[in-house]
Amino acid sequence: MNVEISDVTRRFGRAQAVAGVTMETGPGVFGLLGPNGAGKTTLLRMMATVIPPTTGRVRLLGRDPGGYGPRQEIRRRLGYLPQNLGYYPGFTVIEFVEYFALLKEMPPGRARQAAATAIERVDLGGRAKAKLRTLSGGMLRRAGIAQAIVNEPELLLLDEPTAGLDPEQRVAFRALLRDLGARATVIVSTHLVEDVGAACGEVALMDAGKIVFQGTPDELAARGEGAGAVGDAPLERGYSAVLAAARSATAAA
Amino acid sequence: MTAAAAAPVRYRAPRANGAALLTLARLVRVEMRRNAMPWILPLIAALFWFDSYRPSIGAAPLYGLRTYWNMGEGHTINDFGPFVAGVAAWMGSRDGRRGLGDLVAAVSRPRWAAQLATWAATAIWAVAAYLVFVGVMFAWYAHQGVGGTPPWWWVAVGATAVIALSAVGFAIGAYWPSRFAAAAAAFTAFLALVLSYQIGFKHTSGWALILPTNFHGNFEGNAQVDSGIFYPWLPDLPIARIMFLAGIAVVALGLTGLPARAGSRRLRRAVAAVTLAGVALAGTAVGLANSAQLAAEGVVIPALHDAANDAPIAYSPVCARAAGLPVCLNPAYGRWLPDVTAELAPVLAEVAGLPGAPVRAVQVPASYPSNADGPPLILSLGGQPPVLSLSLGQLNMPGPCGFCGQVPTQEFTGQLQYLFARAFAGAGIGPGSLVQQAVQAALLLKVGMPFAAQVAATQNIPGSPQGQAPEPVYAAAQRLAALPAAARHDWLAAHLPALRAGGLTLGQVP
Repeated sequence: MNVEISDVTRRFGRAQAVAGVTMETGPGVFGLLGPNGAGKTTLLRMMATVIPPTTGRVRLLGRDPGGYGPRQEIRRRLGYLPQNLGYYPGFTVIEFVEYFALLKEMPPGRARQAAATAIERVDLGGRAKAKLRTLSGGMLRRAGIAQAIVNEPELLLLDEPTAGLDPEQRVAFRALLRDLGARATVIVSTHLVEDVGAACGEVALMDAGKIVFQGTPDELAARGEGAGAVGDAPLERGYSAVLAAARSATAAA
Repeated sequence: MTAAAAAPVRYRAPRANGAALLTLARLVRVEMRRNAMPWILPLIAALFWFDSYRPSIGAAPLYGLRTYWNMGEGHTINDFGPFVAGVAAWMGSRDGRRGLGDLVAAVSRPRWAAQLATWAATAIWAVAAYLVFVGVMFAWYAHQGVGGTPPWWWVAVGATAVIALSAVGFAIGAYWPSRFAAAAAAFTAFLALVLSYQIGFKHTSGWALILPTNFHGNFEGNAQVDSGIFYPWLPDLPIARIMFLAGIAVVALGLTGLPARAGSRRLRRAVAAVTLAGVALAGTAVGLANSAQLAAEGVVIPALHDAANDAPIAYSPVCARAAGLPVCLNPAYGRWLPDVTAELAPVLAEVAGLPGAPVRAVQVPASYPSNADGPPLILSLGGQPPVLSLSLGQLNMPGPCGFCGQVPTQEFTGQLQYLFARAFAGAGIGPGSLVQQAVQAALLLKVGMPFAAQVAATQNIPGSPQGQAPEPVYAAAQRLAALPAAARHDWLAAHLPALRAGGLTLGQVP
């Protein structure tokens, strides 16, 4: 298993963002669904080793990120796209991606080529020398994805990767996800269920800091059948049914 | 997006130190290309021209005078400092301002290494600009025929100050990632430099000599002129200041490497040790400055002093004749040789042939004031046969003289002739005996300088007695001047040893 999380919590002051999450996943594309404030981003930040859990155990790529040495090993094999992608406006796309390739300890002689390859993979080759400040929101998102995949990570964490992408780009991105998932563990946090249905082999649904469902997209869709849940597509109805059930169970408790 | 458009570039994490250095170099290269410093350089260039170069060209064409304003008083540092600190803070606060915290926290390269690359790129731009601006200024000085050698050690002090200010600014930005960090850092640097400058005015010795814009030191007093002409610029105080500023830079950069996010515990321990070493370096430098002493050639710090730096600079003098006597100056003063010979000629002619009259005149280096001996003599007679020593470095030479405006040739003439008459009469440091004053007044009368002009000539001469002499002195002077030349000559020949010994009274003057 590339990701092993058991009973992980995370508090920010009095607020509990993640309240006892347990999950495991290996290679493939894993979707993390949930409404706003469900704790998806906090869980992803813990998996990205940006913040430690308050309690619980996290093992990534067979290592404990609590120790400095293993954490560095994980980071060398990690790709991460944060929800709010910061960037250096004066950098060109190729410089930005190369910069992060170097920060990920890629050999300096190959960083440039790796950056160019990553940029091609997100269809930004024609804008490689454009400054980031000149790019649209969707292009910036793709530049962010390029920096995440530049080191060909074994664990790729993408927080809302399709936000701002046009439909054509989203279709292409899903193909890229499937390709990346063939070799690595890709965890995609999103609240767009169609992305999950098209690209993910496994999905977890979070609500109020907990995982309330984990299974395949088909299993999630099945939860919505005959439940009278709202939604235009089977996955959306499953999503709504699981959330409604979880909330009523919480209210009853 | 292409799922299999290009083969991914696989890699193995580098371990060798060489790869780490190469990576750092590549990061610096990228950072240099996109650094904010070049945008501010035109503004610094304009300020440099207006504040460092322009006022300096009003001074006489000698490096010691030209660089007093921009290197000695540190206006060059003032021109760069606030801007460099501000831009460095802007770069230091970049990741926080731009919301890259999570992204840079999830990479394997220690955070501090990336920060060092950003700072290094900023500092390289700033120091390169500083060296280019100063280099162009010195090249222009050389084109103007400025005498002497540039004060390279003080240039190094300025470059180190730029580095230190960039490090301090960067640390402010790293700890306070706000859009106001740049303005705060620039203002802090400005205040620090103003404080340094003001303390420099009040404290002429001790610890305050360590401050980068304290002009006391090699730029102190009148003898600064001859640093780089007769003897090398002493490096003692510059070395102490470089140590101090380097210590500050190390401490500031070290502070950015202490937080947990900066890197491994081992790295942070090493950074803490380096930071403490920086504190020790700066503290040692302050202690060294406190032990500084003013010697003839400049400020000496015993623990740093190398006797080899006391060796005079070899030169071939430029010579001409005045009243038949050879007058030789350092080539750096060559442009004033015609003035000096023309103005000494009348007084030399007046005493020519007397047993105590000089047989030649040579320029000697100006020396720094010694408290024990009082101010040094500018013109003095000594040796056998007598030689007139000219310490011209203590005088304002004819022409531009910075904030004193323009020294007219007439003023220089009066000063040189007055000083010669005093030296000939043996008046020494004080006003001299009444007879010595009478003889010098008589000699000056004979070369066409009335009493009022003699009094005026004493102005602007460092250490010279001011004001009028007692009335009997002028009466005796008029009597002596009224004598036929041969009679006056005979009297002087007969009484010169007693006159110089101060053993005559006014009644003995014919």
